[in-house]
Amino acid sequence: MTAYVLDGIVLGLQFGLLAAGLTLVYGLGGALNLAYGQMAVISAMVVTFAIDAGIPALPAVGIGLVTGAALGLFFDLTILRPVYRRQGEARVLLSLLLTLGVAFIVDGYLSWRYPFRGLTLHIGGGPVNILGVPMRRGSLVASAITIVAFASLFLFFRRTALGRAVRSVIEDEEGARLVGVDPHLMLRLILVLSGGLAALVAVTRAMVTPVTVTGGFEITVFALIVTVVGGLGSFSGALLAGILLGIINSIAASYIGTFLSLIILLVAAALTIVIRPSGLLGVRE
Amino acid sequence: MLEIKGLSAGYNGNDVVRDVSFHVEEREAVMIIGSNGAGKTTLFRAICGLLPASAGEAWFTGANIAAMPAQRIVRRGVGFVPAERHLFPRMSVLEHLHLGAYPGRPDPETMAMVYSLFPRLAERRSQRAGTLSGGEQQMLAVGRALMSRPRLLVLDEPTTGLSPKLAHEAYEALDALRRKGLTLLVAEQQVPLAMAFCDRGYVLENGLIRLEGTSAELAADPRVRTAYLGVA
Repeated sequence: MTAYVLDGIVLGLQFGLLAAGLTLVYGLGGALNLAYGQMAVISAMVVTFAIDAGIPALPAVGIGLVTGAALGLFFDLTILRPVYRRQGEARVLLSLLLTLGVAFIVDGYLSWRYPFRGLTLHIGGGPVNILGVPMRRGSLVASAITIVAFASLFLFFRRTALGRAVRSVIEDEEGARLVGVDPHLMLRLILVLSGGLAALVAVTRAMVTPVTVTGGFEITVFALIVTVVGGLGSFSGALLAGILLGIINSIAASYIGTFLSLIILLVAAALTIVIRPSGLLGVRE
Repeated sequence: MLEIKGLSAGYNGNDVVRDVSFHVEEREAVMIIGSNGAGKTTLFRAICGLLPASAGEAWFTGANIAAMPAQRIVRRGVGFVPAERHLFPRMSVLEHLHLGAYPGRPDPETMAMVYSLFPRLAERRSQRAGTLSGGEQQMLAVGRALMSRPRLLVLDEPTTGLSPKLAHEAYEALDALRRKGLTLLVAEQQVPLAMAFCDRGYVLENGLIRLEGTSAELAADPRVRTAYLGVA
């Protein structure tokens, strides 16, 4: 049982970070990015190509992260332009449609051009005992990176002027403008961050299990479920829901079967919406 | 210091305020009075850049700010306290004051000045804005605007939702700011309070400036007396 919980936490931390990237863009810009998983997959593919080209793993991962961030910037400058021009529900709907279109194109192209490709990063060394459970080094390194990423994000939002400026836009856009914050600039920054997070999750995932060329939609769906359970626009909600759902997923996968774990996650999300429509830590309207 | 020339602004192509002109000199306190729906809020939102003006100019210390977005106008020295306050509900009092100084670091002297003007804010510095009382929220909105060290402070109905006692205290705080050399522009429905405080004023009706004069002249005007001072 402890083993499943630990496995769940490893997975859950990544879920949480994944959802954080999605939920921040929603909280700040009112847009949902359904091509989020494809951002992660493209970054992972860039890492495999870099490694194939003889670049050592660490710089290759660096190139992957930059790719993710660049994709975020590219989204902000291109397909999200018409989205920002709309308000409220029209904005969400247009963002869903446009990013879904991009997701299909990327997914189709990648699986046609590079079928069966994937990224696996091997972390050397034997298993390490945690609470009497032998854990793979890859899982531990992945979790450590994810925890550091979460802590840095938390410090950025709480302790820096720029982080506070981003939060002020989430809280009240007009208020933010009145203190001199440019909401569009903050949104661009958050998209770059979101792309970088997608790439980081892809890389840390690859230390635990292969990230395949067709895995984009699964990543997006996981991120969406965690986002909904945690509360749209809530950063700490994403972390909490990620760990919770990670543990549920891991236990469900081992006692019931992997094929049903996604359904169980969806049921958990549906139950959350019924009981708490705004999510675990979301703001109540 | 501020000169508005023929300013028009509104929503969806319908101008709410039309061809408005007025001026505010350095160290003056000027009021715009008018009933609900006269266009005071629209006028102020246009001056502060939250709403694009459809025509006209707004000159502030030698630059036309009519086409600038709010975030740039603040950095030029215009602090705005909107009627709806637009605070950040889940952020602390201290975080508001820090943000007020964005993108710079908060100036310790200005911070001390805000705390001495509103000791309540110092007591509640780690409390979230959403949990403050109406009066405290108003203090915070003013405090946040002061942190940018503005030369002109624009307040849209600063006494909205305040008890008569608190409204009186609000004007005492504004008076203290004025003695420190700040220029003030206030929109107000509670005309007697504003009149006791401001040097000059303009009467806005249906989006047009109808009257102007010193506070004493306006107080003596029979139209103002019946419409805004409740004197028959």
